[in-house]
Amino acid sequence: MSSLIEMPELVLERIIGFSHFTAVLTLRQVCRDFRNFIDDLKDSKLPDAKFSKIEIELKEDGEKIIFEFVGPDDSLYRLKYAEAGNRRKFNGKGKMVMNADIIDVAIQDVELILRFQKSPLKRLYCDSNAYIHIDPSIHCLPIKLNDMFKMLNRKIKTRELSIVITNFQSEVTIILPIADLETLECIDVYSYYNDTGIEIDDIVKTEQWKKVKEMNFKVPALNLKVEDICHFSRFNIKVNTISAKDLDCLKKTITSGSSNVEFSCLKVINFDENEEILNLWGPAYLSESSSQWYFRSKDSGEDILVVNYQQDRDKIHFDVFELEDVPNGAIVQEYNEN
Amino acid sequence: MSSTEQGTSSAAPAEPTTAPESAAAPEVPESFYYVHGKDKVVHKVSAGALQHSALIHGMISNLGYTEEQAKANPFPFENIDGDILQMVVDWCNQHKGKPTPPEDTNLPKQKEKLFDLVLAVNYLEIKELLTYCCKQVAMMVKGKSPEEIREIWMIPTDAEDEAAEKEAKKRAGKEAAGETAAAAGDAK
Repeated sequence: MSSLIEMPELVLERIIGFSHFTAVLTLRQVCRDFRNFIDDLKDSKLPDAKFSKIEIELKEDGEKIIFEFVGPDDSLYRLKYAEAGNRRKFNGKGKMVMNADIIDVAIQDVELILRFQKSPLKRLYCDSNAYIHIDPSIHCLPIKLNDMFKMLNRKIKTRELSIVITNFQSEVTIILPIADLETLECIDVYSYYNDTGIEIDDIVKTEQWKKVKEMNFKVPALNLKVEDICHFSRFNIKVNTISAKDLDCLKKTITSGSSNVEFSCLKVINFDENEEILNLWGPAYLSESSSQWYFRSKDSGEDILVVNYQQDRDKIHFDVFELEDVPNGAIVQEYNEN
Repeated sequence: MSSTEQGTSSAAPAEPTTAPESAAAPEVPESFYYVHGKDKVVHKVSAGALQHSALIHGMISNLGYTEEQAKANPFPFENIDGDILQMVVDWCNQHKGKPTPPEDTNLPKQKEKLFDLVLAVNYLEIKELLTYCCKQVAMMVKGKSPEEIREIWMIPTDAEDEAAEKEAKKRAGKEAAGETAAAAGDAK
């Protein structure tokens, strides 16, 4: 009888193409001939793992790096890497690895697994909120990830990119370039501890910031310029403060039709230009604890921009209503180019 | 073999049944060819069924054999076991002129047979059947550990493989030395 490895190459390629990605990874471990054959195959010949979600989590405790790959049927593949004893755990099963640098092992593994990912992910989640100030060595994982993607000339196709950070905008700018521009629709930036905020001057220069339609920035964005957020269809951005002049500028951009903002929100921690905004926009329509202004937009017929300032929640919402939904008693301001 | 689409085959083929009278198209007599494997048992197969095999289809497309010529010149496939060729012929008959279903559950479950079938089908370039066979092999690998796969498919470990290679080299070296010694003896 022929041995499996003695099959003609084209037949082996087809068998591999019809296999589940885990079976191909198992075949790699069968013998060096299989390993070499699979490693030499073009990625297009490998089966699609169809992951919906990938999570990369860096931690300070025993298990330093965690990768989670969620399959199309919600199956979960979890890889954990611990420096102590140079251990890698796959779905709970531990094994010692020969390479001394556990970060290199993790990078090699993710490189191999990503060869199987062809469909776009729903979400890529990178949590580097790992006490980097205590353990700065961990920060080299995102750097090495970035290097790996550069070297492979590859990007991850994901619709949503979520990044959990500590204190630096570099934590965002190092991850952003690994996301494929054509696929990316939404970016989320969070932090568990940071209330002081981060500068965003480098972040707003990235192609990913300029291209996405939806931005959720839950860390106070320092020195935000309204022109940097006008291209988003939806945004949910936290800032320490914003001037009435900037708010008016944002309103004008939306009503002039230069921006297609749907439902968006600015979380303004200290908004102290109430008087200035009343001077610019006139008296508001008061509804419970919120002040609302209604503006007609240029060339958009019955669509009305609503700016809703919820003082008790420090939030300023931007939304588009149809004229018939404007409450009785509210004044709809005509479009004014100036 | 019956040349109807029932798919049973034998070494003594029957004549083709005629098309139903209701068929509107003018009746074109179907041409037949003959193939045999390692066991020399000849199978009569219609050109329509043989269309599945890109290799045979390419061979017969310009031949223009008469029935007698075809009978006198069966295609020899000495590299294919008789029972495997029978399976292939049956499959081609069953799927003659029909769209192939997404799955085929009638493939051999024994890995030896499946392997020989894969090799034959790959050689004969029967695209759809090769797809089914490859899917079946993929199914048989699924869920197995590397050790189980090695055992089932008789694959040596890297260590065993290296040892066998060393042994083969050693043997080749000894043989070469023996030949040189013999040659030297002859020269004397």
